[in-house]
Amino acid sequence: MLSDETLVHRLGGLVGGEHVVAGSEASRYAVDGRAPRAVAFPGSAEEVSAVMAFASAEWLKVVPRGSGTKMALGGIPARVDLVLALSRLGGIVDYEPADMTAAFRAGTRLQEAQEILGRNGQFIALDPPDADAATIGGILATNSSGPRRLRYGASRDLVIATRLVHADGKVTKAGAKVVKNVTGYDLNKLYIGSLGTLAIIVEATFRLYPVPAVEKTYLAPFASLDGLKRLVASILDSPLVPFAAELMNVEASRRVAAAAGLPWPEGSYGLALAVGSVRREAVDAQLETVRRMSREAGGADGHMLEGGPHDAFWRATRDFALGDGLQAVLKASVLLTKVAEAVRVGEEVAGQHGLRLGVISEAGSGIVRYYLTGDAASPERFQQAVVESVSRLRAFAQEAEGNLVILKASPEVKSRVDVWGPVGKALPLMQRSKAEFDPQGILNPGRFVGGI
Amino acid sequence: MEKERIAKVLAGIVGAEAVVVDAGELRVYETDGLTVFKAMPDIVVLPQSTEQVAGVVKVCHREKIPFVARGAGTGLSGGALAVEGGVLIGLNRMNRILEVDYENQRAVVEPGMVNVWLTNALAPRGYYYSPDPASQTACSIGGNVAENSGGPRTPKYGVTTNHVLGLEVVLPNGEVVRLGGRTLDPLGYDLTGVFVGSEGTFGIATKVFVRIMRKPEAVKTLMGVFNTIEDASNSVSGIVGRGIIPVAIEMMDNNAIQAVEKGVAAGYPLDAVAVLLVEVDGPKDEVEALVEPIKEVLKENQVREIRVAKDDNERLLLWKGRKAAFAAMGQISPEYYVQDSVIPRTKLPSIMRLIGDLSQKYGLRVANVFHAGDGNLHPLILYSSANEGELHKAEAMGAEIIKACVDMGGSLTGEHGIGLEKRDFMPLMFTGDDLAAMRKAKKAFDPDGLMNPGKIFPTAKAGVEVGAAGQRQILDKVLGPA
Repeated sequence: MLSDETLVHRLGGLVGGEHVVAGSEASRYAVDGRAPRAVAFPGSAEEVSAVMAFASAEWLKVVPRGSGTKMALGGIPARVDLVLALSRLGGIVDYEPADMTAAFRAGTRLQEAQEILGRNGQFIALDPPDADAATIGGILATNSSGPRRLRYGASRDLVIATRLVHADGKVTKAGAKVVKNVTGYDLNKLYIGSLGTLAIIVEATFRLYPVPAVEKTYLAPFASLDGLKRLVASILDSPLVPFAAELMNVEASRRVAAAAGLPWPEGSYGLALAVGSVRREAVDAQLETVRRMSREAGGADGHMLEGGPHDAFWRATRDFALGDGLQAVLKASVLLTKVAEAVRVGEEVAGQHGLRLGVISEAGSGIVRYYLTGDAASPERFQQAVVESVSRLRAFAQEAEGNLVILKASPEVKSRVDVWGPVGKALPLMQRSKAEFDPQGILNPGRFVGGI
Repeated sequence: MEKERIAKVLAGIVGAEAVVVDAGELRVYETDGLTVFKAMPDIVVLPQSTEQVAGVVKVCHREKIPFVARGAGTGLSGGALAVEGGVLIGLNRMNRILEVDYENQRAVVEPGMVNVWLTNALAPRGYYYSPDPASQTACSIGGNVAENSGGPRTPKYGVTTNHVLGLEVVLPNGEVVRLGGRTLDPLGYDLTGVFVGSEGTFGIATKVFVRIMRKPEAVKTLMGVFNTIEDASNSVSGIVGRGIIPVAIEMMDNNAIQAVEKGVAAGYPLDAVAVLLVEVDGPKDEVEALVEPIKEVLKENQVREIRVAKDDNERLLLWKGRKAAFAAMGQISPEYYVQDSVIPRTKLPSIMRLIGDLSQKYGLRVANVFHAGDGNLHPLILYSSANEGELHKAEAMGAEIIKACVDMGGSLTGEHGIGLEKRDFMPLMFTGDDLAAMRKAKKAFDPDGLMNPGKIFPTAKAGVEVGAAGQRQILDKVLGPA
């Protein structure tokens, strides 16, 4: 095995000595408490390729990293030799506004990309958590998405081409820079959400959307979940086309409303319906219908949001956090008809364990996020409560034909419960895919499903 | 293979009446929608359940017999063409809708179900299934999954892959697995996503979990008549540039208009150089609000005439011409050869000019009918095989169009697939390493390479005869030797 000194020296030769970090500084890049021997910051796809060719020759275990906002996702890594940080690999590659496609290097922060595209009234229709800091590569590797997927879909629907560096350093592309293409296999799908276990995404091309000229949201308080459940069902069964529909529990709606500077009735659940269009009258007409339906379903008078408060509300929703204390974040995917129930079960479980819980669900997509927090003074009790909550909520999600994933938890929790949950009979197929793309098992080992 | 013994084994699984070995009956399965390619399977089996499919595949796997799955046989790239000496698995008998769940906006269907049947079944409740390839009254959902089929509605609603959330798959070793399902973000790799569009080389989908959607409150269709292709093309960019995402933007040139008017009399002006069909949908107030800005864009681009369909009948009439365009070609030419390449939308005027030049050079007429909204061309090269060498010329011209599209940053195919037809074009777009990555995915699904062999990947050596016209030699001539 290479000595640490040689490792740093060799990496320096590939990316420049000033772009390699080791020793105590490298421990700041620890994954689940496991510090890498070195961190490399390549500045080009060619340098990423050179680093991977080297890692492959030396059998180094590599953890790719963007800006680090989602490093808590995934199982505890089997071993971390090298963190491959893509933060220097940023910027736009090409952009033709009239074609509504744009390519960015993986280390580009989504926010940066949106600023560039926004000058032409366009955007990448993704609004994942931590959108200010999160990088495009990280968002794709973790298949991170947000409320807007109801209208625009997720990464799998928006990415048309990727450029990859493989475990052995080979550089390939997948897809094409046109919005419709069936030439060969759609490997983009395989790479998106693979948590860097098959190859490292170094560039991605998106189909873009126009920024709607007008966007507004109706936010209504509800005393009970029952009325909300009926309302969501009737909205989804109507010709209304909201781009987001969020159902929140009492804790979450109180905090989000406060963050947006809105008065909020004590003890209320919340439903936020967002509509966008090129025409104001089209937005207003839809939201008036929503307001009427909401009242009929027993909702109290709500807020019609636009401009600053609208943006503040959605930012607080996307980047929801419960403040200080020990934290864990879970994400369930369930049938649409089970969303309200998933919120209720979450509250029941949290109540039993004395946990504070915020729940924000994408009611039209079946995605439910649970934000758990507990007293920092008794970490063991919190860990135990999270482990038990995961089992209980996972059982519910599976019953609702979905799954539950831990987005964020301490290594102590992760060592006691599977971060992903069971994959079923497709696991051997996934293992074979991994073995084909990364036969040495050097890309992110142990962090993906089924121990991949 | 020992045909008789295998046929008997297969009959034990699917029943004797579901095994075809008679040469006359087999002829039905000799070709798919691209009739220049022909290949005779040894045996055709027509299973009726997942268990039967798995049983048949297990036999093929055990005996190392190559096999091909086939839906309705409407594919246009030779993707479902049988392998000589192999088994063809016809899925038409698995054609049921298994489940419709309106509240969760999902349906589960069998692969042999005809695309439009689903929308028809959902219509009374005000729902529909979005992907609508031109062949939707015949093509099967399983075939749509294999080809990742599109259709006119893709600019707003996407293609098959955006609407398929899960699959039950019989793998090439006969194992049955579930990929994805009725909920989003299934765990692990997005195997559903990579299976869709794998052209029947990864396995056989025996159940398809699809998203169904609420019908929009209102739909509006406009037709613009233009004196130049350029103006029509610029209108497309202009509409999108205003932040409007139409459901469909379709264009037809004069040759296409001539054919369509002779065929179905849709009311397109015979002297128009191009017509553009634009459709928007959504809530009533929004749709109403979109008509004026679209008209403005058309006027800015010297539109000669605008027609806005006043009701559903007028709307369907405008669409009738577009939908019948391929079939109507018989009115102006005995045969046609259609290409399916894609270009970035802004390259529309230049590629149209180039196609015009090529038409002169080869002395063959071309009718253009295409999805202008996403740059997906369908140049129909008109020829007659009665004229010595014309098919060769048509294929050579098609090859030049494809090459030009790729040079403009486009793609070989937008919705018809690579199949057998375009496999030797793959190196135009992909390097050896790119293709090697695709082979890895293939190997994970089909390590023995038994399923639909010979498709998608380029042939190794030059001079291999493919199809009636010896495509490899044409390619060598047009593109330079491989």
